[in-house]
Amino acid sequence: MNILKKGVADSLQDAGRYGFQSIGIPPCGYMDYLSAQLANLILGNPIQQTVFELHFPASSISFDEDVCICITGANFVPVVNEKSIEHYTPIFIKAKEQLKFIQPIHGKICYIAIKGKLNAPAWLNSQSYFSERIQTGDTFSIEKNNAPLPFINGEWLDTINKHIFHPSPIRFIPGPAWNDLEETSIQALLKNSFSTSIKSNRMGYKIQGDPLSLKGAPNYLSSAVTKGTMQLLPNGEIIVLMADHQTIGGYANIGQIILVDLPKLAQMKNDIQFHWAVVSVELAQQSYLEIQNEFHQYDKNH
Amino acid sequence: MIQKQPLDAWKIKTLGDHALQFSLPALMDSTIAAQIKDLNHFMVSQQLPFIKDLIPAYHTLTLIYDIEILERPLSFAQTILKEFLEVTNDHKIHTSNANNSNAGEDKNIIRIPVCYDISLGIDLELLSIEKNSSPQEIIQIHTNQIYQVYCIGFLPGFAYMGKVDSSIQSPRHATPRPLVMAGSVGIAGEQTGIYPMNSPGGWKIIGRTPRPIFNKEVAPYASFKMGDQVQFYSISIEEFTKQNEYENEHT
Repeated sequence: MNILKKGVADSLQDAGRYGFQSIGIPPCGYMDYLSAQLANLILGNPIQQTVFELHFPASSISFDEDVCICITGANFVPVVNEKSIEHYTPIFIKAKEQLKFIQPIHGKICYIAIKGKLNAPAWLNSQSYFSERIQTGDTFSIEKNNAPLPFINGEWLDTINKHIFHPSPIRFIPGPAWNDLEETSIQALLKNSFSTSIKSNRMGYKIQGDPLSLKGAPNYLSSAVTKGTMQLLPNGEIIVLMADHQTIGGYANIGQIILVDLPKLAQMKNDIQFHWAVVSVELAQQSYLEIQNEFHQYDKNH
Repeated sequence: MIQKQPLDAWKIKTLGDHALQFSLPALMDSTIAAQIKDLNHFMVSQQLPFIKDLIPAYHTLTLIYDIEILERPLSFAQTILKEFLEVTNDHKIHTSNANNSNAGEDKNIIRIPVCYDISLGIDLELLSIEKNSSPQEIIQIHTNQIYQVYCIGFLPGFAYMGKVDSSIQSPRHATPRPLVMAGSVGIAGEQTGIYPMNSPGGWKIIGRTPRPIFNKEVAPYASFKMGDQVQFYSISIEEFTKQNEYENEHT
């Protein structure tokens, strides 16, 4: 497959690059792991295989051979040779056909999985791009697989999509600096609505809403941050750290968004209002595992 | 040899739903850093299958774990911390040697050449005015100190080192520069560090090293790790040009 025209920030992503944060290398990986896993699952691929992650305006792609693909996540109105195609279902594309994306309808990040395996260089055990982006003229070869296409329960698929694209609430677990927040800021955070800023990217999402403040002016010694960490900047804004986040941070760490809700934030356009909610570690893990176990069940059954 | 802190000096916190943080009092202190390093070493040696990442920094060790494997994170954390504190004296001796924490033992100091020419140390004149010292005095003070690496972060391979002598400490620029060149050596408060690659940055830049400190292709990738001791030495602009390994990489 060939990139005819590059998108604004497209990359290849897998489940991430772990084991090197101690030397400052970010984990990277899918911004919306649920949509990425769905794309692979629908094609009968291992669920954490490498996929294309597209932001709008997205890349235009042509294919040298017949392939089977699946598009999930944001709806950018994908068309093949000018005819629109469906999401969340295997799509057969013939050699020489072209795939384009016309306009962003909902969501921010779209995934394309290819049935089989993408040949792309790996670095430190992962094919996730870090600072690089897909360029015009890039080509990728595919090792096709003949695994049967699994039957996916449509209701289950809808439930996951409703979860991803239903903005409220974004659930988080209070962080080390939670008790340093002014009481009025805690009230504002828990009661008022917020939105994502256009100043958001794979490193972090800026949040718009009531500015928050800390009691006094505490100074924090830098320590590790992680996916979903909510940092409070000195100007009262929250920035949520996403997949390409730096590994150490010195701002107030007021909470971490739970893993299962990160796809919701990742997909949220800046005209959508959302609320925050506090959740326990146990419930957060349970919510994550429930969905993940169903993925594994499909993986095992076919 | 370093005395381990007692169990009650340590705090364990969950960090969201997939991380744990072990912490000692929040101080930039070499004995605290040495114990964080020891705990990190101990955890790595356990080869636990649910550990995805271990990130030491100043007074904390953060563990990123796989939710699908580790079931009771807090009780695991308490148990492993106890085991760490109970390990035998043999282990203590072993790790504290690796620490090079003994004063006067300088064979493990990593020496880094830095050219402090004002064409590269673009904030040196500013700092000299701010501190009412000559650039020579600042260079002398910066190169005299042996720094400890307290953590790696911000950029791949970027080492936070301390402590900078109080006479040349200076805060970050209020607005970061859009581009700091790879190899630049900077000061931010009591910390000093080297930019491994071109990047935006707010540290006061006093010089540049010709030596790459991050290599994407070759293990261990980063030149520094937590606990390393580093000393800078001054080189001329001619030596810098001769030794500069960054220029070849420019595209």
